[in-house]
Amino acid sequence: MFYAGLALNGLAIGCVAALAAVGLLATYRVTGVFNIAFGSNAVFCAYVMWQCVRVWHLPLAVAALLVLGIVAPGVGLVLERFVYRPLRRSGASGLLVATLGVLVLQLGLVFLLWGGRSYVDAPSLLPAGSVRLPGSLTLPYATIVELCVVALIAVLLTFLLRATRVGLMVRAVVDDRDLASALVPADRLAAGGWAFGSFLAGVAGVLWAPIYHLDPYSLTLTVLETMGVAVLARLTSLPIAVVAALAIGIGQTELTAVHPAARWQGLVDAFHTNLFVLVLFAALMVVPRLGIRDSGAAGGGLHRQGARRTSRVDHISRLPLGALSLVLALPLFFDPADLRASLAVPALAVVFVSLVVATGYAGQISLGQAGYAGLGALFMAKLAGAGVPWLLALFLGPLLVVPLGWLTGYPAIHRRGLYLALTTFATAAVVARFVFAQPVFVGALVVSRPRGFTDDHWFYALELACLLLALLLVRSLHTGPMGRALVAMRDSETAAVSAGIDVRRMKVFVFACAAGLAGLGGALTTSAAQAFNPTDFDPVQGLVWFAAVAVWGVDSALGAVVGAAALVAVDVGTVSGVSSLLIGIGAVLLGRFPGGIGAAVRRAGDWAVRPVERPLTRRLSPAGRAVARAAAARARERPVS
Amino acid sequence: MLVLDALRVRYGPLEALHGVSLTFAQGEVTAVLGRNGAGKSTLLRAVAGYLRASSGRIHWQGSDITRAPVRRRADAGVMLIPDEGGVFRTLTVRENLDLFAAGRELTPALDAFPDLRTLSRRRVTLLSGGEQQMLALSRALLAPWRLLLVDELSHGLAPVLATRLYDVLAALAAAHPDRAVVLAEPDPREALALADRVHVLRRGELAATGSPADFDPATL
Repeated sequence: MFYAGLALNGLAIGCVAALAAVGLLATYRVTGVFNIAFGSNAVFCAYVMWQCVRVWHLPLAVAALLVLGIVAPGVGLVLERFVYRPLRRSGASGLLVATLGVLVLQLGLVFLLWGGRSYVDAPSLLPAGSVRLPGSLTLPYATIVELCVVALIAVLLTFLLRATRVGLMVRAVVDDRDLASALVPADRLAAGGWAFGSFLAGVAGVLWAPIYHLDPYSLTLTVLETMGVAVLARLTSLPIAVVAALAIGIGQTELTAVHPAARWQGLVDAFHTNLFVLVLFAALMVVPRLGIRDSGAAGGGLHRQGARRTSRVDHISRLPLGALSLVLALPLFFDPADLRASLAVPALAVVFVSLVVATGYAGQISLGQAGYAGLGALFMAKLAGAGVPWLLALFLGPLLVVPLGWLTGYPAIHRRGLYLALTTFATAAVVARFVFAQPVFVGALVVSRPRGFTDDHWFYALELACLLLALLLVRSLHTGPMGRALVAMRDSETAAVSAGIDVRRMKVFVFACAAGLAGLGGALTTSAAQAFNPTDFDPVQGLVWFAAVAVWGVDSALGAVVGAAALVAVDVGTVSGVSSLLIGIGAVLLGRFPGGIGAAVRRAGDWAVRPVERPLTRRLSPAGRAVARAAAARARERPVS
Repeated sequence: MLVLDALRVRYGPLEALHGVSLTFAQGEVTAVLGRNGAGKSTLLRAVAGYLRASSGRIHWQGSDITRAPVRRRADAGVMLIPDEGGVFRTLTVRENLDLFAAGRELTPALDAFPDLRTLSRRRVTLLSGGEQQMLALSRALLAPWRLLLVDELSHGLAPVLATRLYDVLAALAAAHPDRAVVLAEPDPREALALADRVHVLRRGELAATGSPADFDPATL
């Protein structure tokens, strides 16, 4: 069944998605970077636009000129100069973390400047009204304008890149910036590319904001979800991206006309509202390879080179552990309000530690830990509701997440770098949209703590015990043959395979472990708050967590615990947005300080306890030399027995 | 013409060149020999501006270019043909040549390497190593230079092909007696035949200097 009226509505949605997808692809074509921060860039520009029109009361045209002509390209120029240019020789992982950092930074900025409030009165640049078509159908002018903008960008970009000399130079810079820098003004071309990409993000944001709510998280997520279209186009074909976006938009509205039996209606509704997420997930499963140079080591470049403490932990690294346990025990003596806030620390720390296992030890980038954490919480609540003793449910729930991690680990076997990151992110997005957002699943949950743990002191102590358990598990994964195998896999999969390590099983195992740990962290988070809060497990939150762990040293479990404590402390002690801003700045700078804060501390520690240097050659008196010579001669004469 | 004064280059904590002082004269072909890891490529990349000198000076035609960016050195006539990555791999052969020539005639390259004519619409990724190296060397035929730095021209090539590339290079050097050519090679035979002067690097230090007649390829 096909309804023309619905199709026209779908066309409007598809247009908007096509705009974001084309922007994303165009940015990739002119900069060589798959810009995950495209969404946050769009949101930032949309907020500036709102500020100009609704607060400063500038005329719409002036505001549009200011935002699209100055602010958006300016942001691109600044990012190119201070973030991407210093990273031009780093691999896919370094750029991925940098773009994530920019995303988190821009979100933090939006939270800081506008308090993260969402607005429904975003100014619209598009004309109101619509064209009447035969058969009592109407086509809004806005859709026509959007279609024209999409077509214009696609055609213009294709022409520029294919047929002009500047386009050729831009492609040369994207291909090999070192070589290009000897032939063309590479820095200026790259800056121009980023300005253009950022301009497109601005256009997308300004056009999107009036259609959706102007809201930092949901709008960023909506833009991120259109990445499915870009993946379908294998990041290369603009026409495929446009057609796919329009088709999904139309499919989405056509599905609203499907009315199956009442019990399936909820599922169909979930389908049509979240078709883009599904397409992102399906596209990542089906499309074998992106048209992208992504051959770098899976998590390479995130950890400090030469950080190989897989042997027994020596007494020096026990020192910070002791100090840390003292600090973590401190909240037990806080006043009740502060203790209540501190409850989030061990829970978050467990989630962070799960990221250290997946990304730090095994080199598998995972942006989807938020999904596992939420599932752990959900399972625990369901079990508790079904009559399982709470303490048992607390561990049984996360255990149920392990098979899911096992299952989602399979796609990771052949994926790496950006592709793996997108796949894990899509998993979290699917879980968020189809589970956490469905009242069927999250309604009527039992999340209150049982007797004995209603007192925050006891619960905090329990959380610390769980964290200790997690750290012990992680240590067993990091030391001995297992730890060496994981590190070998992280450094070079090929070498690991040829050394007889079963890389496939290892990867799946690591994902399962990380999922279980994240589930435990999620269960603790929910129990601490005594409420299942879907925003705690928002996929975008997962991106922030990943960036935070990367900043604190992705292969440092202690760093992760400290990072969790710092994140909660900053969140509680300052206005919202500061923590994101700090994490973002840290992640952006990570390319210059590989290994993050953890590695810096370890380097300082190594320096402080370095062995006292002794002169290598001992000076001998002439008599001493004679004795040494005689001893050596005797040693030579002695027959080998 | 090109003067290196106590040049030191480091990669992070590791120093690859420990203070090399050299002079490359105008109109000469100089061979820089040495084993893998001796610092040949580091030397050339530092001169071309891809690596920063941690100390020491680089003078080119009387002006100090130690801190100059790649682009300024290229404008001053310094051209590096690296052992790999001397071509844009996602572009076609023709597009590569267009970029190298920057608006000049393509005929010198196409005459020297007729193979490139038939390959002109093919993407560089699909070329063989030898074809890629021909394309990379075309850059020296298309654009003007005053100092040509060639890093391991014979890298991974069949001997026949290496000889052919060296013939082109020899003709190029002979046609422009006012310019300087520096070759870095681990394998001394071809380079000794072509060079007027030889420097040997060992573990990041200058080990020997002389004319090709002073060196026996078998003992190097």
